[in-house]
Amino acid sequence: MNDKNANGRNAWDWQTEKKQIPVKEWESQFNWVEEPHVSPDGEQVASIVNSDEAEFSICVNGDVWEDTFEKAWSLKFSPDGRLAVLAANDEEWTVCIDGTEWESRFDYIWGMTFSSDGSYLGAAIQQDGEYGVVVNDEPWESLYENMNHFTLSEQGGSAAVVQVSSMSQGDIDGFAGGLFSLAVNGEPMPQTFMNIWDPAFDSQGKHLAFTIRKNRSDYSIFQVDTAWDQTFQSAWKPAFIENDTSLVAPVRTGGKWYLYKNARPFWSNVYEQLWQIAVHQEKKSIAAIVSDSYGKWTVSQDDRPWTNHADQMITDLSFSEQGDTLCALFKTNGAWTVVANDKPWDLGADKLWKPAMDATGEIVAARFEKQGRYHLAVNGRVAPGDYDMLFDPEISPDGTKILIKSITGGIYSRQVLSVDGLI
Amino acid sequence: MQDSTIENKDSVKTDVIDEAVERGLERLTPERIAGVINQVLAKETGARFKTYIDTCMRCGLCADACSFFLSNDRDPKFSPAAKVKQTLTEMLEKRGNVSKDFLKNMVRIAHTECNVCKRCSMYCPFGIDIAYMMLTVRRICHKLEITPLYIQDTVNSHSATMNQMWVKEDEWIDTLQWQEEDAREEFEDLRIPLDKDGADIMYSVIAPEPKFQAGLIYQTAVIMHAAGVNWTMPSNPGWDNSNMAMFTGDFEISGRLAKAHYEAAADLHVNRIVMGECGHAFRSVYDVGNRWAGWRMPPIELVHAIDFFHELLTTGRIKVKEKYKKSVTLHDPCNVSRGRGLHDKAREVVNLLCDNFIEMTPNKEHNFCCGAGGGVINCGPPYKTTRMINNRVKKEQLEQTGAEVLIAPCHNCHSGLEDITHHYGVDMEIKFFGDIIYEVMEKTIYQGGV
Amino acid sequence: MNAFIDFITGPMVWISFLIFFAGVFIRVFRLAQEANSKEKFMFSYFSWKYSLRSIFAWLVPFLPASTRQSPVFWGISYLFHLLLFMVPIFLLSHIVLLEESLGWSWISLNDSIADVLTVLVILALVFFAVRRLNVPEVKFLTRSSDYLFILIVALPFLTGFLAYHQFFFYRTMVIIHILTGELMLILIPFTRFFHMFLAPISRAYTGSEFGNVRQARDW
Ligand code: SF4
Ligand code: SF4
Repeated sequence: MNDKNANGRNAWDWQTEKKQIPVKEWESQFNWVEEPHVSPDGEQVASIVNSDEAEFSICVNGDVWEDTFEKAWSLKFSPDGRLAVLAANDEEWTVCIDGTEWESRFDYIWGMTFSSDGSYLGAAIQQDGEYGVVVNDEPWESLYENMNHFTLSEQGGSAAVVQVSSMSQGDIDGFAGGLFSLAVNGEPMPQTFMNIWDPAFDSQGKHLAFTIRKNRSDYSIFQVDTAWDQTFQSAWKPAFIENDTSLVAPVRTGGKWYLYKNARPFWSNVYEQLWQIAVHQEKKSIAAIVSDSYGKWTVSQDDRPWTNHADQMITDLSFSEQGDTLCALFKTNGAWTVVANDKPWDLGADKLWKPAMDATGEIVAARFEKQGRYHLAVNGRVAPGDYDMLFDPEISPDGTKILIKSITGGIYSRQVLSVDGLI
Repeated sequence: MQDSTIENKDSVKTDVIDEAVERGLERLTPERIAGVINQVLAKETGARFKTYIDTCMRCGLCADACSFFLSNDRDPKFSPAAKVKQTLTEMLEKRGNVSKDFLKNMVRIAHTECNVCKRCSMYCPFGIDIAYMMLTVRRICHKLEITPLYIQDTVNSHSATMNQMWVKEDEWIDTLQWQEEDAREEFEDLRIPLDKDGADIMYSVIAPEPKFQAGLIYQTAVIMHAAGVNWTMPSNPGWDNSNMAMFTGDFEISGRLAKAHYEAAADLHVNRIVMGECGHAFRSVYDVGNRWAGWRMPPIELVHAIDFFHELLTTGRIKVKEKYKKSVTLHDPCNVSRGRGLHDKAREVVNLLCDNFIEMTPNKEHNFCCGAGGGVINCGPPYKTTRMINNRVKKEQLEQTGAEVLIAPCHNCHSGLEDITHHYGVDMEIKFFGDIIYEVMEKTIYQGGV
Repeated sequence: MNAFIDFITGPMVWISFLIFFAGVFIRVFRLAQEANSKEKFMFSYFSWKYSLRSIFAWLVPFLPASTRQSPVFWGISYLFHLLLFMVPIFLLSHIVLLEESLGWSWISLNDSIADVLTVLVILALVFFAVRRLNVPEVKFLTRSSDYLFILIVALPFLTGFLAYHQFFFYRTMVIIHILTGELMLILIPFTRFFHMFLAPISRAYTGSEFGNVRQARDW
């Protein structure tokens, strides 16, 4: 995370022990209240509310936005605490942030995404049957017949797979000829392919890489401005490494998965499956979710698989900020748990969310649900108490406090606890 | 009229023109043909394939299992083992050096004369999986790029949009919001909650619903709302678990679809995926695409509508106001009866909803395919006439029940059975369980406490 | 001549059994090896419970729907397969030979019963051949080698029957009997006769997939 964010966190209220907002009361004021969303700092809780037929608004901490909308959906807080919603009046859609609407209007808008410091908000748009992207109220200049896989860089760059030539119905030869290109900030690349998936920006937002299908059976990777010569049976989303000069990608040949780097074999182990690469640039460490024997999943860090395995699924692989802790969610026998640096917790969760980690990776906190009740676990220990609903925990920049945002009995509480008391 | 089509069937069958097959064949060279065939047979098959080839005693017992054989007056060419003989055996013996005419027949046999329904596995003493063998043939067709046009276009849609019918991202969301709005006529606070993180259930449908049958989404929304279910639908791709790629042998796209589907559910942190009344889509993420992706079994519990309705009805979440009066019969979709053993639950659901249930025989695991399954109907209009001939057994089965209403808890079956009833003039209304539940349920909201 | 007879009733029997066992072992081993290298996932679906459930269901005459659909064929087939093993194993003259050379023995069939059963085996084979010639869907699948297999199975039974009754050429009949018996044994691992080992394996896998994954019966 960058400085802006850390500063932002420092400025949060880490002193007041408990603040409460009675959200249940809202129900009596409106026809219905949709599921609540909470700002990262826990100071605001908000819901889409309906007060009449086709009359929606947003209720934040009990105050309702002045504007009403005929339709509203996709309410989200940005990482820097702004509240955004996709809303429509008179069949025209726009983004409304903290009660202020963007100027641009579209026939439709969806896929709202933020950069991780919250300074950029991007979304996919449709206008007169053509497709494109809008970032911070600036829509692409050219729009396309169709568009998928919209992605936003940390620097506000946008990319999406776009259809650059038309296809008459059932024209499979036209399709095989390559109808799709990648548009970056609205401008298509010269190359077209049969399929393009999973565009990935480098950390500076300058270059892109993505997965391509050259013909019905041959897959490859497109790196910056050219496609790898080699073809594979399949490939997944690539990732830039080593300060963006190199690229790794999972590729399949002979029915097995390999990790390639710059079009050459990189990891020496062969896997049944390999995807979702996590990279720590400074530590020069690469990790991926892998299956090392059929039906068994684990994490491989720098080509060394962990000893712990999951039978069903692994998700949310991520490094702590300084790269010392590598964390993932494991599901075995229907129960989820956190595994951090190959050490499993004992949670038996029905639902589990990606943990929060402090910069050093020494504190790992996750919320989970078990039999309808929400709980918090820190470093493998389940904190006392349970909640009707728990939102993502936050750890203070100095790693001493945890911010807990929860709802119980219709009351929202923002609570600051010391980490020491929990581990 | 019917008789004459049956008489002419051989000429009809050879007359079928599928542009994609024709053009694909033109492009092929003998080297490419042999190369692809030998690659698939040597590299992509193994002990299972060899065992099936070596164990078949050519006893012909599988013949009586196959509706194509029975519908074609026991024409020996249509027996399951005969389909292997006319395709794989010859390719093996000629080491892949087969003619274009051979390939043309092969496409027809593998793609339109087998529903990959696996019924024959239950009649062969050795349990030989002819469906797997025919899918291997389709894999060869895929690699030779001679897959029939319509189904290939569908696979193209899957690959580009992650749904079956070129539904654009905004059309999907817009349709859900429009159904939600309409359904508010019945329940003013009804919602189709989009992207609700942490809901219990992600509900998934196949692309024909938003494209042509949005009313089904409406019905489900009413049922979910009345049952007080904490559910959601994803706004982003991955919502469609239909999968024609698994039926063309494009296993790479098939696996990619399963991955997108389960990732959508994992992102929403749901406990279960409940899916609409579709059979092949169930197979796609229960038994096929998930395996290619490396998930031995569904990584997130996958519940078919039959199972889910059973749960809602038996736990009292949905109450029946008055049972359905017309006489009904039930078509068991292969992919959830032989494919998941839900036939007994399906009967319980019928009996909870309807007064007058007439069995269709044979039934349960032994049902006959609707004739549309396995991607056969998706090969499109060029093959429709022959498909109708090949479905005669199903038509006879339907007629014997004499029921007024036919319940078919599968989209594909629906389309296939509609074709049959129209073509043969069978007087039967075809319904989903959802249609009937919507009609007989009490439209009040479940209050819990059970 | 006596030396020849000594050879085919002595060492050749051992050689045949050796080839049989070695052949079976090698084939099963290679099959498992290939499955392990290319389709390892199959093992993860394998279940003893459902494998045995399926195999037993198919061993019960007229339990599977298929067997009820073709009762004549299945009736004959069940009987044929039973007798194919029972007659040679429980035949008195075989047991006597075995006792002379190894000292092993077990209960035997009454000779006249064995005689009738042998005729039944031969009749079953005739039925199979006639069926191959006359039932269109079977005829379409049949190849000349299928008749050859029928012949190879029939010969030891036929010659045994003729030798027992000493109708003609007793010595020649005995020699052909022994040789074809040994031939059949040797051929098992290398021909379609191997279905006697593959059948339970493929049934087990289908039974596992049906029972374990699809939660349905496969009979
Ligand atoms: S899988 Fe079904 S359609 Fe195909 S050969 Fe077997 S019984 Fe016939
Ligand atoms: S029933 Fe089985 S063994 Fe007999 S012909 Fe059919 S596939 Fe072959």
